[in-house]
Amino acid sequence: MQFLQQIINGMTIGSFYALVALGYTMVYGVLKMINFAHGDLFMWGAFLAFTGLHVAGSLTGQAQPWLLGPVFIAVTLVVAGIGVLVERVAYRPLRSAGRLAPIISALGVAFILESLARNIYGPRWLSMPQGFVPSGVLMTYQDVRLSALQLAVLLIAFVLMAGLYVFVQRTRTGVAMRAVALDPLTARLMGIDVDRIIATVFLIGPGLGGAAGMTVGLYYGSFDFTLGWTFGLKAFIAAILGGIGNIPGAMVGGMLLGLIETLASGYLSPQWKDVIAYVILILILMFRPTGLLGERIAEKV
Amino acid sequence: MSKRLVMSILIVFSMLGGLVGCGGSKGTIKIGLQGPMTGDYAYEGQGFRNAVELLVEQTNAAGGINGKKVELIVEDDAGDPTQSALVAQRLVDAGVVAVIGAYNSTATEPASEIYNEAGILHITPSSTAVRLTQKGFKRFFRVCFLDDRQGLFAAKFMKEVLNAKNVGILHDNSTYAQGLAEETRTYAEQMGLNVAFYDAINPNDKDFSPILTRIGAANLDAVYFTGYHSQAGLLLKQSAELGLKVQWIGGNAANNPVMVEIAGVQNAKGMFVTTEPLPQDLNYPEAKKFIADYKAKYGEEPASVWTIMAAEAFNVIRYAMEQTKSTDPAVLADYLHNQFKNVNGLTGPILGFDEKGDRLGTIHVAYVIDENGNFVLYDKQPSP
Repeated sequence: MQFLQQIINGMTIGSFYALVALGYTMVYGVLKMINFAHGDLFMWGAFLAFTGLHVAGSLTGQAQPWLLGPVFIAVTLVVAGIGVLVERVAYRPLRSAGRLAPIISALGVAFILESLARNIYGPRWLSMPQGFVPSGVLMTYQDVRLSALQLAVLLIAFVLMAGLYVFVQRTRTGVAMRAVALDPLTARLMGIDVDRIIATVFLIGPGLGGAAGMTVGLYYGSFDFTLGWTFGLKAFIAAILGGIGNIPGAMVGGMLLGLIETLASGYLSPQWKDVIAYVILILILMFRPTGLLGERIAEKV
Repeated sequence: MSKRLVMSILIVFSMLGGLVGCGGSKGTIKIGLQGPMTGDYAYEGQGFRNAVELLVEQTNAAGGINGKKVELIVEDDAGDPTQSALVAQRLVDAGVVAVIGAYNSTATEPASEIYNEAGILHITPSSTAVRLTQKGFKRFFRVCFLDDRQGLFAAKFMKEVLNAKNVGILHDNSTYAQGLAEETRTYAEQMGLNVAFYDAINPNDKDFSPILTRIGAANLDAVYFTGYHSQAGLLLKQSAELGLKVQWIGGNAANNPVMVEIAGVQNAKGMFVTTEPLPQDLNYPEAKKFIADYKAKYGEEPASVWTIMAAEAFNVIRYAMEQTKSTDPAVLADYLHNQFKNVNGLTGPILGFDEKGDRLGTIHVAYVIDENGNFVLYDKQPSP
């Protein structure tokens, strides 16, 4: 029974990695650029949710679960806005400056976002206001527990992934995105507004990050400004593992990393989980250098 | 003989260093403070700064020490050993005669090597890893108490008060928490307790469900977590969510109200913490005055006992300088080792320091978290 519980534990952690990995994959798929600021945009999702829930709670006089909806939408939109702004200010001027400059610029943005969070909210741990998230166990089978929150996290990760996949595959904007990913110059000749498409990518990627940040913040209940670093790095690795640029790959990579870490912690020791996880990662990359599912966003335009 | 020769050369050099330092700053006494102003333990580091800045202000307003103003230089080590070595060197270069810090043992260890080489008086308010004072450094002191005494206390508490048989010990791979965990295991086994679970988590982890699931299956009477308060809070919360029935005990790094905030009151309730007494339980006039002054300046009472310990470290330095009429680290260290006895401190009488620089005696007690989330002194304590 311990094993079944560990699988549930692993899939919960895996969902978080997958949620954050979606943002990395989205930007990389189109721009071939690793947005290192994504982890910190994600962290801002948690901080803004903290503020949003406090404001919503004081406006309506009490903490009610339905307020999560509007706050969730607001947080997603604000972080998406920050993402677009970051692209406009820090990435667009460097788009033709080679591969190294945008990476350094992205790291710079990451440090700026992290320092801003620390200076505005302070360095201490913040706890989400109580009463919004209904706690409690959904199902108990012998000793195995699945909470409503864990199920919600799994569902949110899956729905966002599926939605993103359908968007990229089936909509006109999605087709334009894949065209830009394949060849920006030709896409421009075909009448696609490349700047607008890239801005849209930076609307969706960071927006997903903001949504993920709020979910993680609510699940663990408390966090500090290092949240972006902790989850961002793992999610980046999950994205590579699944095949960066590949949307279902982010889900597969995230789940796999979460499960490997959990089983290593649960049956050996948490001290060894990173060693085991990365040995497996290196082995996978040796045999499949483009990740488990490979890069697929730009195929078959 | 050769050791003595080396020592005297070192002393001569350190005096030269001291002279050079004094030359640069006419008429002030430079004292350094290093601690984690940012990073995971930033809350504690800022408490250090608040406490010592307050005392420096008061000291200077009263005319300074021996007629000289105190100049405080604050450096941020972020709790990180690499950063700690860098800022330690910077403080040495700035010509300080004494340093207070660092917060965590991991950061204090590399800094203590640098201060030792430079011959500077170094007092840590809060680093309790035993091995810090095992290196023969003549000018390193601590105003807190050793891990092994807390380990002994924790083992006794589990055996005598909780009547536990199977116990677990969990640390976070930091120098401090691992030291305390090892000492506790040694004493627990000597007392006949069965340490059925002993493992570690990683300092940056936020999800502990895998190891908690294993703890739940191990049938333990009590688990002693020796790590820091933020992770202790997450452990309590996730332990409750997984439905674990085990009795949690925290070490003195868990001694912070933020832990209860993170865990949620309903999950933290009933947890024990072995620690030095909390600020509000210090029934000494010196402590009451300090806490009142602190509140007047910063608008809140010091939340952590380590804030008080930082103030204690400054007071020890000031007292030694006043008694010896000197700012020479060699004279001060000699005074602290041999003549400093039974001085009233913020955390009770300071009996003195042994030859290694460790504070004599112990003041550990067990607290329990009540249904309102407050730390209250537990009514049952183990035999002294």
